[in-house]
Amino acid sequence: MKNSDKIPEGNPFKVPENYFEEMNSRIISSTVENQDGNKKQGFYVMLRPFLAIAASVAVLAILSYTGIKLFSPRNESLSLSGIPVEEYSETILNEIDLLTLEENAVMTGMPGLGPIIDKKDIIDYLLLENIDINEIQEQL
Amino acid sequence: MNKGFRLVVERYSTRLYWHIRRLVILHEDADDALQNTFVSAWRNISNFRSESSLYTWLYAIATNEALTQINKRTRNSAVSIDDLGSWFANSTEGSTWFDGDEAQIKLQNAIIQLPEKQRIVFNLKYYDDMTYEDMSKVLKTSVGALKASYHHAVKKIEKLLSGI
Repeated sequence: MKNSDKIPEGNPFKVPENYFEEMNSRIISSTVENQDGNKKQGFYVMLRPFLAIAASVAVLAILSYTGIKLFSPRNESLSLSGIPVEEYSETILNEIDLLTLEENAVMTGMPGLGPIIDKKDIIDYLLLENIDINEIQEQL
Repeated sequence: MNKGFRLVVERYSTRLYWHIRRLVILHEDADDALQNTFVSAWRNISNFRSESSLYTWLYAIATNEALTQINKRTRNSAVSIDDLGSWFANSTEGSTWFDGDEAQIKLQNAIIQLPEKQRIVFNLKYYDDMTYEDMSKVLKTSVGALKASYHHAVKKIEKLLSGI
């Protein structure tokens, strides 16, 4: 609207060469394209509390497990929990010396092996059964 | 939305640049103000509902950013309103980005001495040929007041130009 002949027309201002093309690129990069970076950052920022909670739980679990392992009394039965009964029995039987076990059983008078009988009582018993004394002497 | 905003930038950036440039005079200031205009528009783009208001909305943001830039410049360089004429002469004289003849220098010198509101109204009407209705939406001022403001601005400029 040029309603005054006394006012000159025209644009005295200049801009650098290719300014408007570069300016549009700068504006786009600082607005539209910058939004993608903000979105990614926002995603991680949003996840950060949950990651912190997960990390805390993990550390707590590790500390608890370590504490239990270090300070609880050793319990052998715990170590057998994963071993089958047959395998365990076989292992134990292999380690036992049966002859030694029988000798110990005789010496300690274990009920499964019967009462301890004196040699003199055996001779008296055999004489009552009318067995010859000479034969008894040979056998004993 | 991203593609739409790209189109908005391509469509309005040049017009908004010249609007800002006529207010702030210096290319560097206009560049900063234009960048801030679109960043502000991008952050508030969700407020838009109709294409018809986009044009005036962008001009309103650009005008505010230009005034902010002017205030920043005058605060930093301690230039008073009374010294704007000489500041303009110093800023444009020898400037790479000003290529006006003597008449243009006088015109810009006269425009910059107008009160802020009159200067904006004059630029929007004289250079951008904006309707008073749209200008009313940009400046939140009644059409009647804008017409009066433009009339006073033209008279002042003619007086300043004829007095030289």
